[in-house]
Amino acid sequence: MPKCTIDGRELEVVAGTTIIRAAHQIGIEVPHFCWHPDLSVDGNCRMCVVEIEKQAKLQISCNTAVTDGMVVHTDTQRVRDARRSTLEFLLVNHPIDCPVCDQAGECYLQNQYQAYTLHDARTGLDDKVHKRKVVDLGPILLDAERCVLCSRCLRFESEVVGTSTLLFAKRGNHTEIATFQGRPISHNYAGNLADVCPVGALLSHDFRFKMRVWFLSSTPSICPGCSTGCNIYVDHRDGEIYRLRPRRNPDVNKSWLCDPGRATYKTVAAAERVTRARARDGADWRALPLPEALGSLATHVSKAGRQLALLGTPQATNEDLFALRVLADATGGLLDFRVGDPQLRVREREDAILLRADKNPNTQGALDLGIGRSGIDEIVAACRAGQVQALLLQGPELLRAPAAGDLAETVPFIAVMATHDEPALDRAHLVLPAVAWAEADGTVTNYQRRVQRLTRAVPPPGDARSRWELVSELLRRMGATWAANSAREIFVEVARAVPEYAGLHYGALGESGLSASPAEAHGGPPFPQE
Amino acid sequence: MATRVVTVDRNLKAGIWPLVLGHWETFKNLVRTLFLRRAATIEFPEKRRNVSGRYRGIHVLTAREDGTPKCVACFMCATVCPAECIHIESGERPEKTIEKYPTRFEIDLLRCVYCGFCVDACPEEAILMSRENDLVGTTREELIIDRDRLMARAKLVEVGLGYHPDEHDVRRPVRVAAIERFKQEHGVGRASARPELDRKP
Repeated sequence: MPKCTIDGRELEVVAGTTIIRAAHQIGIEVPHFCWHPDLSVDGNCRMCVVEIEKQAKLQISCNTAVTDGMVVHTDTQRVRDARRSTLEFLLVNHPIDCPVCDQAGECYLQNQYQAYTLHDARTGLDDKVHKRKVVDLGPILLDAERCVLCSRCLRFESEVVGTSTLLFAKRGNHTEIATFQGRPISHNYAGNLADVCPVGALLSHDFRFKMRVWFLSSTPSICPGCSTGCNIYVDHRDGEIYRLRPRRNPDVNKSWLCDPGRATYKTVAAAERVTRARARDGADWRALPLPEALGSLATHVSKAGRQLALLGTPQATNEDLFALRVLADATGGLLDFRVGDPQLRVREREDAILLRADKNPNTQGALDLGIGRSGIDEIVAACRAGQVQALLLQGPELLRAPAAGDLAETVPFIAVMATHDEPALDRAHLVLPAVAWAEADGTVTNYQRRVQRLTRAVPPPGDARSRWELVSELLRRMGATWAANSAREIFVEVARAVPEYAGLHYGALGESGLSASPAEAHGGPPFPQE
Repeated sequence: MATRVVTVDRNLKAGIWPLVLGHWETFKNLVRTLFLRRAATIEFPEKRRNVSGRYRGIHVLTAREDGTPKCVACFMCATVCPAECIHIESGERPEKTIEKYPTRFEIDLLRCVYCGFCVDACPEEAILMSRENDLVGTTREELIIDRDRLMARAKLVEVGLGYHPDEHDVRRPVRVAAIERFKQEHGVGRASARPELDRKP
């Protein structure tokens, strides 16, 4: 393995590592535009030049592999001069309309201008080449004037999505990116174009003019859209989510996030959120304070005794599901979660990039926790036969199923924890407000059996509580000894209860999560590998 | 620092002299007001004190020739505002060169500390301050003034323009200071090869 010295620090890297990646390993940021960790190297921007001893010319660090004994300087006067000239060149036709540009605050041009040049423009506004502005490409807006022609978007289109929608048109000073006949971008990954664009040339339509980025706080979390479990940042301000951004995790989603996933934030602040508990009063609903609703639930559940059925949801976190399992063990009730058989689709791909057919973030976690215990058909049959006195649902999946229409008649008490109002909830007798994914702490397990952490980004509306909190409160009212104060506490028990999760804890999971050890090691069924 | 010690004799009887002096002052003012028409006070609110041209009073939003706000909703003022009293929501303008404008622009005058940073931060000279300091309302909501009230300031003619960048441009000195700091920190100057162009206003 070649050894090199970067800015006086020695390090050993895997053969073939480029200087920019090696520098990144030891925390040295080399400025760049066209290089992207998950795209091929193009080397056109010339911003990442570094000085290498015994080489006459400056070299681009993104395309120069480290060789043994190489001595690299990333911040000499010569390098700074070169970067300054490059930047001045890139800014020649730039409109410098930062005040109205959504990229301002996270713009490579802005940051590097501040860091390297602070020069005054030698090109007057009238001398600049004017290009197309505010070109609507569907989910993306193109401003050709702001473009630095780094070709990141072209490479994303051809290498990741495989559509090659974007191309360079015209020549020289007039070069700009374009789609054929100005057609809109129609694939599911358009949002990534705005992310890969280092400047404000490609911007998201959805986020346009919503908020200046420096006002936003970012909370690391996991996309709840499907079983892939892409790592994301939730960008929010004052309890309102403005956008989701992919968080780089080479083992799960690289730097990408699909558009349906990006849109999941809209449901969190939706008007139809369930904010208060309510109970059926004849044909009408009556709002209840949460303690009263839990008291009523505890009465019904205690009365039902062993004639109780519990249904988890793969939308819930491992902690929520574990609490439900504790309740099932304490009461001897029936337990399952597999409404609509999500476990059959958990690893089924919807496309070749990220999307998966199972639209639940935690089906694998529910399987690992053994929530799939009694069988859905058995539970429904028991309900029909009048053997179930109380049915507690963590999510409304069963109520949505057409077969559930007559359950309300045969089961005397149905309670459901719900995040959003929907007609299906009318089949229940008691509705408890539950938190949405961005309002909860917890862990979810993706299709690779990677355990990843959700972090609470915004406060829940009204009386909404985590599902585990509701179950824990119910258990307390029923006189059980099990109690939990936080998701972190429950995860300690989860790690103890599930052999594959042994040794995992919040600290070890960190921001990028950890793969659960394969089941074979514990004598369990072999885990399917892709 | 040396402290000056003042010894006060509490037992000292002042006598009648200060009383006479005080009455003399009152009598002088009486004569001035009644007979010489030279009052020490002004008849507020009919008359106003003349305040300086740099006075930081209630804000004004300037307009383009077509009457739309000059503001491009860049949020610089809201960013720099130490009182967090500026609330902006932005929308899209049909002109592609301007793109952005504020659909809502509200200043909570009760939170505002009248520091004038918003005026300094504005890249478009869209927000200025008037000399108006008459902050009267019967509800709090009344004193959160919106875009239309900030723009329709017929009163401005009456009270006059206050703090604004033309006569007291702080942005250029800030910029120069930033470049000086950059030079000191990195030991290099600007990239410009033609310094004579830098001095262009």
